[in-house]
Amino acid sequence: MQYNCQIFLIKIQKCIQKKYTINLSYRRKYMLKKLFIILVFSFTTFVWSGSSFADGHCQGSTMNDGQTGGKYPQQYELSEYESAAGCTMKFSENPNIASINATIQGNKGLPGVADRLPDEPLVVVPYDSVGEYGGTINFLSNATEAGTSDMLSTRHVNLLRFADDLSTIVPNVAKDFEWNSDFTTLTFTLRKGHKWSNGEPFVARDVEFWYEDLMMNPKIREKPYPYLLVGGEPMTVDVIDDQTVRFNLPSPFPGLTATIAWSYNQFFMPSHFLEQFHPEIDSNADANAQALGFADGYDALAAYYGNSGWTDTPTPLLARPDLVAGLPYAAYPSLEAYMTIEDTTEGRVYAANPYFHQVDTAGNQLPYIDYQNERYINENEIRLLKLVNGEVDYKSQSVQLESAPQLLDGADAGGYSVQINPGCGAALFSFNVTHPDPEKRKVYGDIRFRQAMSIAMNRDEINDVAYYGLGKVEQFVGFSPAPDFVPESIKMHMTQYDPDGANALLDEVGLKDVDGDGFRELPNGDALAINIDYATQGIGGVEVELVARYFNEVGVKTTFKEVTPDEYRGSQAANQLDVHVWDKGQPLAIVAGNPETFKPPFGNYFNHTQGLDWAAYIDSNGSEGTEPPQWVYDLSDGIDKFQSYALGTAESNEWGEKIATMLTEQSLLIGTVKAPFPTYHRNALKNFTQFKTTSYEYYRTYPYLATQWWLDE
Amino acid sequence: MINFIQFTLTRAGLAIITLLLVCFIVFSLMELVPGTCAERYLAFKNTQGSQITYEDIEKEKIRLGLDKPFLYRYGKWVSNIVFNGDFGDSCILRMNINELLSGRFMLSLTICLVALIFSYLIAIPVGIISATTKYASLDNTLKFISYLGIALPNFLVALCIMLFMTVYYGDTMTGLFSQDYENEPWSSAKLFDFLSRAWLPIFVLGWNATAFALQTVRALMLDENDKLYVMAARARGISGMSLLWRYPAKHSLGPVINSIGFDLNRIFSALPIVALILILTEAGALLIEALARSNDQQLAGAIIFLLTATIVFVNFITDIILAIIDPRIRKGVMGGG
Repeated sequence: MQYNCQIFLIKIQKCIQKKYTINLSYRRKYMLKKLFIILVFSFTTFVWSGSSFADGHCQGSTMNDGQTGGKYPQQYELSEYESAAGCTMKFSENPNIASINATIQGNKGLPGVADRLPDEPLVVVPYDSVGEYGGTINFLSNATEAGTSDMLSTRHVNLLRFADDLSTIVPNVAKDFEWNSDFTTLTFTLRKGHKWSNGEPFVARDVEFWYEDLMMNPKIREKPYPYLLVGGEPMTVDVIDDQTVRFNLPSPFPGLTATIAWSYNQFFMPSHFLEQFHPEIDSNADANAQALGFADGYDALAAYYGNSGWTDTPTPLLARPDLVAGLPYAAYPSLEAYMTIEDTTEGRVYAANPYFHQVDTAGNQLPYIDYQNERYINENEIRLLKLVNGEVDYKSQSVQLESAPQLLDGADAGGYSVQINPGCGAALFSFNVTHPDPEKRKVYGDIRFRQAMSIAMNRDEINDVAYYGLGKVEQFVGFSPAPDFVPESIKMHMTQYDPDGANALLDEVGLKDVDGDGFRELPNGDALAINIDYATQGIGGVEVELVARYFNEVGVKTTFKEVTPDEYRGSQAANQLDVHVWDKGQPLAIVAGNPETFKPPFGNYFNHTQGLDWAAYIDSNGSEGTEPPQWVYDLSDGIDKFQSYALGTAESNEWGEKIATMLTEQSLLIGTVKAPFPTYHRNALKNFTQFKTTSYEYYRTYPYLATQWWLDE
Repeated sequence: MINFIQFTLTRAGLAIITLLLVCFIVFSLMELVPGTCAERYLAFKNTQGSQITYEDIEKEKIRLGLDKPFLYRYGKWVSNIVFNGDFGDSCILRMNINELLSGRFMLSLTICLVALIFSYLIAIPVGIISATTKYASLDNTLKFISYLGIALPNFLVALCIMLFMTVYYGDTMTGLFSQDYENEPWSSAKLFDFLSRAWLPIFVLGWNATAFALQTVRALMLDENDKLYVMAARARGISGMSLLWRYPAKHSLGPVINSIGFDLNRIFSALPIVALILILTEAGALLIEALARSNDQQLAGAIIFLLTATIVFVNFITDIILAIIDPRIRKGVMGGG
């Protein structure tokens, strides 16, 4: 600084020497002004690397700049960010927000952006760049309520979220959350000044209303969702004050936060709007609903809410088009990034929520993109054509690995990129251990038989032929992807290709080729013929064909037949299948809340139920079905134990390893190759990160912050 | 005249019985397909990531009334249509079918009728030329093009044109409207938009139908052309087009009028597959969804009901027209009058 002044003084002296007549007082003023400018300039240069002014506004930093988050990864609370970056945040908004707001039926004129945001908005650190506003993002789904979750996840919000490491649970709508020491009360702090998409305040009562008055009301949900119960018992929800809400659990259940983080079911509903139709809350509910043309209060709730946790149920725009014009809102007010403004059987259009609670690191309110345009196309080939043509901005759901070569081929011309990411699930084979034929039941129930069938498979060949060598040979261990606590030996348990070993085991079981036709007979002398019914929705035909060949090669006569998913499920429910074949896999976070893989029938109606008779025995306390062996009870107790500890603790990992080992060593669900899936995005879509998995689990794009995507066009 | 009224009423009665019978058959066939609509609906939900139990499916069945006996459901459905003009709610789309089909069925019908008119406008003159031309090469060329129309599956033609358009114009040519007009009321601009896209399905369906009609006209013309009355006319010095139009063509076209209903049905049967490929937002695509994907009895029944009603109506009208214009039929109906 001194140096600068000296130069300046020298310059002045030079001026005097040149005999310019300069008034002294003027000279002093001039000097001070220049001094000030120099001071500011030097300081700015000094702090520019931090990209913010000490007394200025935040300029925005990104994950690329190394701004990786505060208490939670990739996000900050406002004050936390301001002190970390040493700047104050000035909020700005989408220049088109007024016209966007005008498309949302029932929304009034907008207050300034600072008044629309919560007092403490969530500061999201963008991946690569602070975005630019504008544009419409194009999506493809299959049909109303079919194949839409991929798209819905891009506007989804919940109290919590999985960060993109897929293991840290971070707040989103909630400001913060806290467990008590034994995991029986979970307290959420909400954001002061947080508003619904219509500008009304979002308060703790909205959470209570959702749980007590919608989810637990038998007139709305006849039976509550199992994941909203703890050990089959309901929780209670207490409103402490407008910004504090507490879940009281009947027994310890740390998995609840994981459920909230991945569930499509949003843990709040706009009580200020829906209560007026709820007959148990408002005595005028029926009259209020009838005045708008609904049959009664419950009818109005059904029309708006769809009576389910799904956010894809038709809005009144689709379900009651004759009433829409007279309704206060075309869809219930939401906290999501986008609001439904069009809903037809051809597709939906969404407009950015002007009250959305997130901002980027420069104070720009998210989301950046003005509108979302979702079209329905139920033909796989036509969807593929549209993808190759670059008519879509993002898609991963329903894009099969078989389409990957075509997609990769057209990537340059179409201006898009394709990531090949692991899925969570894998196609599994499970022998029906409670088969109605007693002789088959005996054989399928024999662990040596199941082991033999597992090592009869040439998994490397399956990978090469059916998955272009892009898959990963792996055993199914109950968790998918396998967490770190599962030892490598368990992950590869019985995955070696060993036809001789398989033959030896089959001989031991008593399956001998009595009549000399090259195929083994059952121990009682009857023919053994396994038929694999499969549907392409659950597994690819090529893999089934290969597996049938491997079974035949070790003398187990096997045929296979493609059926429709309905036929498959029909035979499955009637317990007529020899082998259950379907895609299955649940990551740690979901197993923490859902025990189905570890308890008979070891799956659900839509994947594997190879232990139906054991399940019947347990459910009926022994009056129906067949008594399962002891290991089934041990496994069932094990998962209960596992679920009573918080993920990541030593106890949790210990029990996790135990149940994974128990399940895997039974060769009950035989894994082959874990297939990867393509994830497609157009290159113009910015801040799009590398996904860890391409799967429904973790709710698709939700961990990867679709709200900070922007279109560079 | 009494005879004519009797004839008309009998025809009308038969038409209604046909209509009910067709719907009953559709309803029954869908009953035989494994998996109910409740199950399909929840399977959809399962792709969304929801855990579903047996109880959920049972509850959904009760909600949709699928637990009631088949005949009861059919009876209720038919009486609702007949007495209230209400097709009920679509099981899978959860919206009122009248609402759903209001514009779409007319769109389908328009596409089919335009394709039909297009095919007749080409088939009749070209068929006559083909049958009577002196140039074997012209006849063969026309025959070749028309056989191609019969031989190429509609969906393949549609796919090829789409692929061509995608590669050379960057437009997949899907849909009936561009997005700007999708939810707009009808206007001249929307009509233009519709036509700029609808030509593709009309062309694809029309080509196939033209080929059929052309073959019919050609065969009939060849038949009639050699008959004695034509020779007699020729002997009287009548020749060229006036001979063709006044004598053999007039008689060849009777059966063509008679087959309008049949042709309409054939075009409509081809429509769903083409509609599915081209993502047309009309009733044909919904029909195949309802039949093959969602087992939505109400929706499939409603579309078949409307289609059958149209065809039965067209047949009824052509019967009456023929009875009026064709002296042979008129004589049979009027009892020698």
